Amino acid sequence: MRYLRLLALFFRTELAYELEYRTNLALELLQMVVIVTTSVAAVLVLFNYTTVLNGWDLGAMLVLLGCFYLVQGFGELVLQPSFEKFMEHVRLGTLDFALLKPASAQFLVTLRHFQVVQLAQMGLGAVVVIAGLPRVSTLGPAEAATFVIALVCGFTLIYALLLALSTFAFWFVRIDNLMAIYWSFLDAGRFPVDIYPGWLRVTLSSAVPIGVAVTVPAQAISGRLDLIGLGLLVVGTIAAFFLASWFWRLDLRSYTGASA
Amino acid sequence: MIDVYRALFVGQIQAASQYRVQSILWMLFAVIRPVIFLAAWVAVAGAQGGRVGSYDVRDFAAYYVALSLVANLATSWNSYEFEFEIRMGRLSPKLLRPLHPIHYAVVENIVWKMTTIIPMLVVLGFIAATFDARFRSTPAHLALFVPSVVLGAALAFLAGWVVATTAFWTTRVHAVATLWDRAAFIFAGQIAPLALLPGPLQTIALVLPFGYMLGVPAEILQGAVDVPTAILLIAVQAVWVGIFYALLQVVWRVGVRQYTGVGA
Amino acid sequence: MTDAVVEVRDLRKTFRVSERQEGLAATLRSFVRRQRRDINAVAGITFGIEAGEVVGFLGPNGAGKTTTLKMLSGLLYPTGGEARVLGFVPWRRENAYLQQMTLLMGNRTQLVWDIPAADSFRVLQEIYRVPEDSFRKTVGELTELLELQELVHKPVRNLSLGERMKVEFAAGLIQSPRVAFLDEPTIGLDISMQVRIRRFVAEYNRRTGATILLTSHYMDDVVALCKRVIVIHHGQLLYDGPLADLAERMAPFKVIVATLHDGAAADLSVYGTVVARDEGRITLKVDRQIAPERAARLVNDLGDRLTDISVEDPPIEEVIDRVFSGERVGTAP
Repeated sequence: MRYLRLLALFFRTELAYELEYRTNLALELLQMVVIVTTSVAAVLVLFNYTTVLNGWDLGAMLVLLGCFYLVQGFGELVLQPSFEKFMEHVRLGTLDFALLKPASAQFLVTLRHFQVVQLAQMGLGAVVVIAGLPRVSTLGPAEAATFVIALVCGFTLIYALLLALSTFAFWFVRIDNLMAIYWSFLDAGRFPVDIYPGWLRVTLSSAVPIGVAVTVPAQAISGRLDLIGLGLLVVGTIAAFFLASWFWRLDLRSYTGASA
Repeated sequence: MIDVYRALFVGQIQAASQYRVQSILWMLFAVIRPVIFLAAWVAVAGAQGGRVGSYDVRDFAAYYVALSLVANLATSWNSYEFEFEIRMGRLSPKLLRPLHPIHYAVVENIVWKMTTIIPMLVVLGFIAATFDARFRSTPAHLALFVPSVVLGAALAFLAGWVVATTAFWTTRVHAVATLWDRAAFIFAGQIAPLALLPGPLQTIALVLPFGYMLGVPAEILQGAVDVPTAILLIAVQAVWVGIFYALLQVVWRVGVRQYTGVGA
Repeated sequence: MTDAVVEVRDLRKTFRVSERQEGLAATLRSFVRRQRRDINAVAGITFGIEAGEVVGFLGPNGAGKTTTLKMLSGLLYPTGGEARVLGFVPWRRENAYLQQMTLLMGNRTQLVWDIPAADSFRVLQEIYRVPEDSFRKTVGELTELLELQELVHKPVRNLSLGERMKVEFAAGLIQSPRVAFLDEPTIGLDISMQVRIRRFVAEYNRRTGATILLTSHYMDDVVALCKRVIVIHHGQLLYDGPLADLAERMAPFKVIVATLHDGAAADLSVYGTVVARDEGRITLKVDRQIAPERAARLVNDLGDRLTDISVEDPPIEEVIDRVFSGERVGTAP
């Protein structure tokens, strides 16, 4: 509860900041609209030649693309700015301040900063999902519920992976490149993960769970995700989250010399 | 001039050797998107009995492998860097030197490409094997590819600088660059080979410069166009290079006057 | 030692660093077998600080000051020894401890660059769970003491270094800590801002009774704030006691400054070592024990050629400098 209040506080302070730069905000929005529109155009070009792509028809593909922007938007809303600041903290030594607060350091560091304008990207994602939805299914409460659960799992998976990756910052200090690669891998989520050849599919669904994070919610809202699949996703997500948190804490301890 | 370039080269090669890991990572980064669309087209072709238009699965593989290579050889990020330099006030010292700032960028680009070409070929070889690429190119295509990719690189480089010089007037180059990149995303041959763009898009693509940076050299390397068409396309590329060269001359002169006029 | 706020016994910290020689062969060799070397950053120090004290922690760069502060604030695990702050073992980083402690670093900021400090204060309030009324009271007091009215509503990046440091102080004290560790709090500030920060620390200590341990390169900070100093060098405790006695203990000489009408020509080397000469002002270094007698002789011999004379302890910087450069003649009388 306290952490939720803190999260809201973090969000509010950065919202106030971004609202001050209205031209910037407008330009960012314009860019997002262009990016999403051109991506939809790319899907339409593909579907100019086919009606179905590995079992995904146009409606399902739009839902998937929308989910992609929901997940990517979430990443850029809070994860990317926070993790960038985290790496900066390690470099400048200001991480110490976070460690000396009577609250979870992991929380204070990794969910601290927001790029509020990215909410618009999530909004555009939602629009694309809704645009594709009528061709796919009639949205019942069951689909909606599994969709929300799957999406939250998707967010958490991305978070867990970034958290695990970011621990490298304790050793290598400069890991911006690693992060850049990660974000570019995200790009692969715009298509269903099963179109990729073996090695890439394995990478995208396990090492970089972007495929899972985007594809599964899209399946959920189209009513194509059964309870077993959902259960596996939830269990996997929880495991990934705790594993990554444990890994992070372990590294933090070596950062403070506890294990040396 | 040759001496100046030699000196710049030595400096850049030393700088690049410090960023070896970084450049390899960025190179991988450049390969990801073509692979994504390659996989998508393979899936489409799969649904259509193995063929879309004149392209079958193996042609797509060859096209996107070629496109990745061209993208690596022809893309430059200098526009982002240039905006940064202007914003941070780092341009002024460079303007004071008796050498146009563009030369630093030229050398930087060439060195970057030289250092990444070997690992790039390894990665592309791996992708070509995975997707079973088939090139239809004849020795004539390979010969024509050289001028074509050089012109494509020159065009992308000059166009990037024209975009970058908007930094003289606005601090929002990023927005301009994003719009430019997204236009290139559609029209340069990234989402589809130019021949597969639906009617009106294809017409637009042939009129705009984007396709002549990436798509055209890639198609020539892959052997998708016959030799006379290839020569014609290369001629168009040359025209575009001329246009952007002239444009850059004008924009640069006016821009520097504007920049120094403000007294930054 | 019952009301000691800080208790340190035989505290040690050893860093293990890998050494690498230049050259390819050496690099390859070290890849196979790392050359490790242990550095004793803190080599067993013992001291205690009572509630409400302001103690200066002195030592040259690399003496182990920051390492000690980091261990006491809980950022570093020691290699050996014990420490208790407010009864807590710092490196367990229990919330109850963190709640009552602050660490301020002059060259690092905990404020968010792009947003006004007032917003950061709110976040800190929530993190430390400071009740609204005591939050208002604390912020009000800090605002008054540090003259922050104008500053807290500007984005931090628009503040000057000195202004930022003041705001930084306020941010570090939102939770009304009982112990404050200040690491170079005035570094890089201009003189007048240094004076203001000093005045603030003194006033804060007087009002709240907070215990303060501070390191600084500026001896003026220490002279103005600390009755007691702890000097460490190479990780070892050299001196722990009143600042006033430091010169006596560490420097075996006094300084006699004599001003003469015709000083330019005078040769005073028979009275002591001439260390400076500025027009008629001559500075002599004289052994501590014989200083009064030499001064008396000077007055006697020179008579009315003398316009002024004083006998002083050497400047504290000089004493410290002597200590650190290994000239520890002071301990042997």
